[in-house]
Amino acid sequence: MQSSLIQTIDLCKSYDNDGVVTPVLYDINLRIDRGEFISIMGPSGSGKSTLMHILGFLDLHSKGQYLFQGQPTATFNDDDLARIRATRVSFVFQSFNLLPRTTVRENVMLPLLYHPTIPAAEREERTLKAIELVGLSDRRDYFSSQLSGGQKQRVAIARALVTDPDVIFADEPTGNLDSASGVAVMQALQTLNDKGHTIILVTHERTTAEHAQRIVHIRDGRIVTDSKDFKRVMAGQTDQLK
Amino acid sequence: MRFPDILRAASKGVTVNLLRSFLTMLGIIIGVGAVVLMSAVGESMQGVILSQISSLGPKSMVIFPGQQEGGASAVATGFDSLTFEDIRELEQLKTVTAIAPAIFVPQEVSYGRESGNPRVVGVTDTFFLNQNVTARTGRLIDEDDVGGAKAVAVMGPESVEKFFGSGDPLGKRLKIGDRHFTVVGTANKIGSQFFQSVDDRIFIPLSLAKDLTGQKYVNLITMQATGSFDLAFDDVNALLRRRHSINNPKNDPAKDDFIVRSAAQASEILGSVTLGLTLFITTVATISLIVGGIGIMNIMLVSVSERTQEIGLRKAIGATRRDILLQFLTEAVVLTVIGGIIGIVGGIALAWLLSFIVRIFLSTYIFAVSPAATVVAFVMAFFTGLLFGINPARKAAALQPIEALRYE
Repeated sequence: MQSSLIQTIDLCKSYDNDGVVTPVLYDINLRIDRGEFISIMGPSGSGKSTLMHILGFLDLHSKGQYLFQGQPTATFNDDDLARIRATRVSFVFQSFNLLPRTTVRENVMLPLLYHPTIPAAEREERTLKAIELVGLSDRRDYFSSQLSGGQKQRVAIARALVTDPDVIFADEPTGNLDSASGVAVMQALQTLNDKGHTIILVTHERTTAEHAQRIVHIRDGRIVTDSKDFKRVMAGQTDQLK
Repeated sequence: MRFPDILRAASKGVTVNLLRSFLTMLGIIIGVGAVVLMSAVGESMQGVILSQISSLGPKSMVIFPGQQEGGASAVATGFDSLTFEDIRELEQLKTVTAIAPAIFVPQEVSYGRESGNPRVVGVTDTFFLNQNVTARTGRLIDEDDVGGAKAVAVMGPESVEKFFGSGDPLGKRLKIGDRHFTVVGTANKIGSQFFQSVDDRIFIPLSLAKDLTGQKYVNLITMQATGSFDLAFDDVNALLRRRHSINNPKNDPAKDDFIVRSAAQASEILGSVTLGLTLFITTVATISLIVGGIGIMNIMLVSVSERTQEIGLRKAIGATRRDILLQFLTEAVVLTVIGGIIGIVGGIALAWLLSFIVRIFLSTYIFAVSPAATVVAFVMAFFTGLLFGINPARKAAALQPIEALRYE
């Protein structure tokens, strides 16, 4: 059987602040296959962002197993993790995280500087293609401060796809946007998924989560539902609220 | 990350806030600038020393009448302590040779409408040997001129310029006091001796100078040490003290009524000045570069704090610890290297300006830069960046990506 792109087995995460241990995630068992568009939903403080950070190699789990393409990640050192972040995964953050006083083109090109195998000669072409894909070709020489929120998030998406990663993690990508810009951003992510990219979206907004084919609902650090039936998940969520 | 990309990222970090970067560099600019300026002054002074030695010759000695004030090299004039009897006895010493006295003739010189007061010096032919004076045109004063008290003169280049401009003075008749002298030669340029230009001198035979002034004493005695300068110096001092009845066992220069000087001594004095200058430069450089380095470290630490989110982002998109370390370290080095370059250019410019001012007082002072000191200052600036940049760079590199991204 072909291994999943991402698999967690009884994965736990707790933070130790000067001896005070705060558990955040409990026994997370999750399989995500290549090409999926999955939403991780839950209220604030439920642990959904922490789970995304662990899956995206920005943070480490405390217990259990995390297998990436069948490989246990516990043995990875700092450089291995940096290499995976450079080549296999990428992120779209709620607050865009674009470099200030830097143009759209330079921001999008940034991950290519750290990519170990993409030659320097290919950078320009890849960058312009990614900018074109998010519809910002006419803004490529603008500074990030000259863009609207929606445009900034599309730049962040272009930056996420420029290395052609296996998975794109999007953490509340529409959280700081008006509804029209939010729709445009979700359409851009949808297009990427249609092209075969795996998208893992973290959100607490129902309308945003609706774009996914599968929804994992987290509450108090545990997965409460994991379903491709959107109505069932939403119904379950409503039941819980009652 | 490839090195050109690291360099580009570091340069961007420096140019994003130009005023802050400039202020950060200031310590380095001042440090390097001071080193370059001071070493240039030292180099120019070396040039002055060399011109002294080459104009006097390394074994040349000069005795002035007068007293040395407070151990300094100031020479009082108007003393009549050196006599022709002294000279006759000096000629008996084995440690000195080529003894040549000189008498200054403080009388007006004129030619046509031009008149002035250049230094008129009565000399013998040996004087020219001791002072490295050579003929540019015509001839120098010889034994016959001195023996026969002939009214002839040899002019230094500055006097030729003053009285004849670009014309040829040979055969012309100069008036010195109330007597006429035929110019038989001109001397080559020498520069300065004991930090005074000597190119304005007009030489006449010693015998005539004696007649013109009626002097029984001499204003100057030049000679050469035959062997060791120290032995000659001791002999001359002992002889003159004995003759002048001076009891000075402790060699206190203030007790003597004569002063013995040599090119070697002049270079020794300047050598010690140069050594002092070198120590001063080293101290200034070390203090400035440490202060500059601390300034750089301080600003780099602030920069790491300010750019924590950027560091988090770079790590999130694949930067390794090494990438971040190199980026911030390169930024510190770029700051100090640019500071170093500005310091070098500024130091050279100041040294160049200074040379114009100093030349008013010291004609042989020539603008010169010490290439070795400049290279050392630059290398030190580079290593200051490296040394003081390492701590902030390590701090940046050690940041965990998620903590850096969350930092506010």
